[in-house]
Amino acid sequence: MDYLELTLTVEPDFSEILMAELAEIAFDSFIETEDGLQAYVLEGDFEERKLKNLMEVYAEKTPLIYSLKKIEKQNWNKEWESNFSPIEVLDQVFIRATFHPSSEGKYKHEIIITPKMSFGTGHHETTSQMMQLQLEIDHQNKSVLDVGTGTGILAILATKLGAARIHAFDIDEWSVENTIENIGLNNTPNISIELGTIATQKQETFDIVLANINRNILLEEIPSYAKFSNEYLLVSGFYENDVVDIEAKAESCGFKKIKQISKNNWAAVVFKKH
Amino acid sequence: MAKDIAGYLKLQAKGGQANPAPPIGPALGSKGINIMEFCKQFNARTQDKMGQVVPVLITYYTDKSFEFVIKTPPTAILLIESSKVKKGSDQPNRTKVGSVTWDQVKAIAETKMPDLNCFTIESAMKMVAGTAANMGITITGDSPF
Repeated sequence: MDYLELTLTVEPDFSEILMAELAEIAFDSFIETEDGLQAYVLEGDFEERKLKNLMEVYAEKTPLIYSLKKIEKQNWNKEWESNFSPIEVLDQVFIRATFHPSSEGKYKHEIIITPKMSFGTGHHETTSQMMQLQLEIDHQNKSVLDVGTGTGILAILATKLGAARIHAFDIDEWSVENTIENIGLNNTPNISIELGTIATQKQETFDIVLANINRNILLEEIPSYAKFSNEYLLVSGFYENDVVDIEAKAESCGFKKIKQISKNNWAAVVFKKH
Repeated sequence: MAKDIAGYLKLQAKGGQANPAPPIGPALGSKGINIMEFCKQFNARTQDKMGQVVPVLITYYTDKSFEFVIKTPPTAILLIESSKVKKGSDQPNRTKVGSVTWDQVKAIAETKMPDLNCFTIESAMKMVAGTAANMGITITGDSPF
């Protein structure tokens, strides 16, 4: 869905106040500018009447000028994506974009990712840590579920490691489109991908469940993952000091922690069913 | 070697829910910063402020890296929260012209102290009261001033 951008010229004393008032009528983020502010709202959540009322109330107190425009959905990360560096994980996996030369077999596995505003290029600690943990688990002929797949990078690595069948999903439309593209680039047709969440998946079990998301979602969803996993659960996306909560939740669902790694305060953990 | 600062960006976004859409996408993306990385970090660092509007000051460098500082919630947001009247259920309803008590003003001033240029709680309370006046929120109870 597209966003609407409200540009508001207003005195500094009223800038913060208007952000707070706009937050009450569905605007979800704001930038402070020299002349006032810019505020953003999802087109579907916007109610013009409420904005008009608010502007009328404040126009009595302070001078203000505002304008509204629609911002078309586009790949905002294009700039970074156009010249990122290729990256390697544990000397075994080489991740590159289509515009980088191939490693010509120098690495055991090579993955091509065109990220298009989806998460997972190997540059973030949580992605590389998940890959590092995957490299230590036998994927041969296993089935894998990838929760919140992003670019599909972990699912693609699972194929390279010999998994027989991989199912991936993501809540974000961009991610689904992007994963389809990356599946094609890496010639990994044994990955199925759909738009959704763990709650929309039909019940089946997998040998390995992968979830690089965040603490809050993991704490909420680990009980569901437990129903989908019949052996391993690999999680990341949280800080080292959150491991204790994640571990307690996983243990209460029949998992036991078998390995933990950390880098720059980010952690990743392997759990195994009792 | 010290990194060269390319600029600053002051924005407010909902804790734990940043996504690459506007304004984060266009504002940071145009500087060549990896917005996916920013969102992952911002969401992890604000996971205890889920859904609350959080001010953040981002410093970005010429090498396309960034750092950011999370500030205390805006005074105006805290005033709106405090002026909301709970009606029966957990559905808060804001009256047209709200009111807060001096105790609530003091509590907000205490929350805001780290980010205000105030040496005493009294001067912080005066700033909060000034914002309330601008918003048309009345303050009830005995004024400490």
